[in-house]
Amino acid sequence: MASISVPLGGTQSGAPSQSGPKLRVSDYLKWSVDHKIIGVQYMVTALFFFIVGGTLAMLIRWELLTPNLDLVQTGSQYNTIFSMHGIVMIFLWIIPMMAGFGNYFVPLMLGAKDMAFPWLNALAFWLIPPAGILLIASMLVGAPEGGWTMYPPLSTLFAGDGQTLAALGMHILGLSSILGAINFIVTIKNMRPEGMGWWQMPLFCWAMLATSIIVVMATPFLAGALTLLILDRIAGTSFFDATKGGDPLLWQNIFWFYSHPAVYIMVLPGMGILSDVLAVHARKAVFGYKMIALSSMAIALVGFTVWAHHMFTSLQPALRVPFMITSMIIAVPTGIKIFSWLGTLWGGKIRFTGAMLFGLGFLSMFVIGGISGVMLAAIPFDIHVHDTYFVVSHFHFVLFGGSVFAIYAGIYHWWPKITGRMMNETLAKWHFALTYLSFFFTFFPMNFAGMLGMPRRVAVYLPEFQSVNSVISFSAFVLGISTFILLYNMIHSLMRGKIAGANPWRALTLEWATTSPPPATNFINDPVPFHDPYGYGAPGANEYLDEIDRRFGVAEQPVPRPKAVQPSGD
Amino acid sequence: MTTKQNLLEQGMTRAEIQALRNKRTGLLIFQISWIMAFICLIFVNMQLRSQSGEWPPPGVEKLTPILPSAMTVALIVSSLFARRAVKAIKADDAAAFLKYWRYVIGLGALFVLGMGAEWAFVPVSGQYSNVFRLMVGFHVVHALAIAYYLWRVYRGGLNGVYNRINFWPVEGGAGLWHFVTVAWLLFFIVLYVV
Repeated sequence: MASISVPLGGTQSGAPSQSGPKLRVSDYLKWSVDHKIIGVQYMVTALFFFIVGGTLAMLIRWELLTPNLDLVQTGSQYNTIFSMHGIVMIFLWIIPMMAGFGNYFVPLMLGAKDMAFPWLNALAFWLIPPAGILLIASMLVGAPEGGWTMYPPLSTLFAGDGQTLAALGMHILGLSSILGAINFIVTIKNMRPEGMGWWQMPLFCWAMLATSIIVVMATPFLAGALTLLILDRIAGTSFFDATKGGDPLLWQNIFWFYSHPAVYIMVLPGMGILSDVLAVHARKAVFGYKMIALSSMAIALVGFTVWAHHMFTSLQPALRVPFMITSMIIAVPTGIKIFSWLGTLWGGKIRFTGAMLFGLGFLSMFVIGGISGVMLAAIPFDIHVHDTYFVVSHFHFVLFGGSVFAIYAGIYHWWPKITGRMMNETLAKWHFALTYLSFFFTFFPMNFAGMLGMPRRVAVYLPEFQSVNSVISFSAFVLGISTFILLYNMIHSLMRGKIAGANPWRALTLEWATTSPPPATNFINDPVPFHDPYGYGAPGANEYLDEIDRRFGVAEQPVPRPKAVQPSGD
Repeated sequence: MTTKQNLLEQGMTRAEIQALRNKRTGLLIFQISWIMAFICLIFVNMQLRSQSGEWPPPGVEKLTPILPSAMTVALIVSSLFARRAVKAIKADDAAAFLKYWRYVIGLGALFVLGMGAEWAFVPVSGQYSNVFRLMVGFHVVHALAIAYYLWRVYRGGLNGVYNRINFWPVEGGAGLWHFVTVAWLLFFIVLYVV
């Protein structure tokens, strides 16, 4: 057990330190090897692209308000909009945002001064802006129209030069991911402090480890697929051209070997965030810590054996059943997590903070996405709803109801550490309520539309689907507007937010055992972790938390601004 | 493997040992990761074969493995010399390191030239030559890039930069060259044996 007489790190003197370093906006626009600056760079960049991708989503829903073409002039324009929406949301929003959380918090949680390879870390981030520019530029020169999955021959014979630019951009993003993942694995394996074994590591670190293993093993397949695609487009090869001895299914196999695990790349960090948020805001030790950690690794492993369930309609019949079985098996480790989180909440002193609400939102919405995933793993059902709105609903429940809700939970949870200021909890509750309801009414009705046969990726549809599409579109507009509550809350907090202190949630993981924001080297002395990162109620926990408050300061109200002097008029 | 105690005795600081440990782990993970790109191309080869039914396709002559076999032996020997070079520099024997490193670069250049010729002169025959050029070209690009890095290490060695404490560029370069060898062995089996 940790003795609280041992220095916690962060300050050398016993005097409380209330504030971290003062950084200017320009510090975040430069090359920096500080993992915290890089983390913020990732997150701000990702948020920018979230707005871009969200705007494209609004255009999609605007077009689908009526059964005919009205917003766009041609189907090709619609193809471009939904293709870019998918690419931007996956590769420029969710994945970089999760990398941002990882960059900022993994070294802090491990008590390290920085990532293992700081320079490489900066390089991984700075590959993202040019890749983003390439992707956006691709819309101007014959945009991609084959969806984010870019199936040939849509992406080879029937797409403009923008498809090549998009493939290059994704290539660069893949390289960025691999460099980042190598850094995470080395940091987590080699840079844990004394007293923190594997089983004392925060679950977010376990999640980032499992995610990084998937990234390093799967992303080279994406690189291979994109290389072949680019060669087919510009070098005259015909790997995917069936008329010249190539095979379009080759793309599907390679692409999904990366892209199904990529779903876990987007969800596993969210699961890690959730484990931390639920324990802290329910004031209770994580139920089944080891099972949650091991189930992350199990998901990483089994995730490589399920890719062909995306190809049930084109796969050799003999291979369907094995992939159906593996696709159902992967629900088991996910189920272990769900039950462990419920066990964590059971009997806890739940505080309905913004972070907790979004954590609970994740739990409910992700379960819907998970169950519809098991339904899609069943071959007969999958063939019935293949390429319909049922599939669109499923993956949005996983990626928005899962990943994005987790990102929101993470923002509300860790914002005080990053900025040193609290967010407005009333606004957070409004944000949650609007997001939760509008999200549900955007994506749940898609299940009905899909089962009734409404195909995805079409701008023109049968008139009988108009009423359900109207509900979906209006809900989507509310969902879009709800995001601005978060953005306003962020700006309001930066300008007028309550001073957070070091540990406003009284959490036991090491990122809270230093000032908010942390100093350049995170901890001035070597920090001593509490023996159980989730040991709320354990002997010594309160003393440990009190010691953090004494050393680094508690939350306080900002000094009220003096009222402006009114001219007397005399 | 040099132990932590040995490194401390040789005069490395704890921070330097930590950095060395990180670099070794990072290189290993990079090797495991990037070999997947080569496995991806093997998968491409296998799928195109299964699609074709007969491989090489009817009317296309199978490539002869004589020159590639010789090049493969050269590459394996170069990898063994790289191993010896690392041992030599860790023992502070700079002369032996430079000698072995010259052999590595020479044999590596021979391999690149030999397989480059194979790549350039393979008869055009649809998917069979397409996938051959893809795989060999992909490998040669890696071999060239890493050989350039080995050359830079050699230049550093001539200037006396490396010794029993500062040996990571040599060890890292050798690790990358072993990667080139292992990746080629996988490709050789798929292209010429199976």
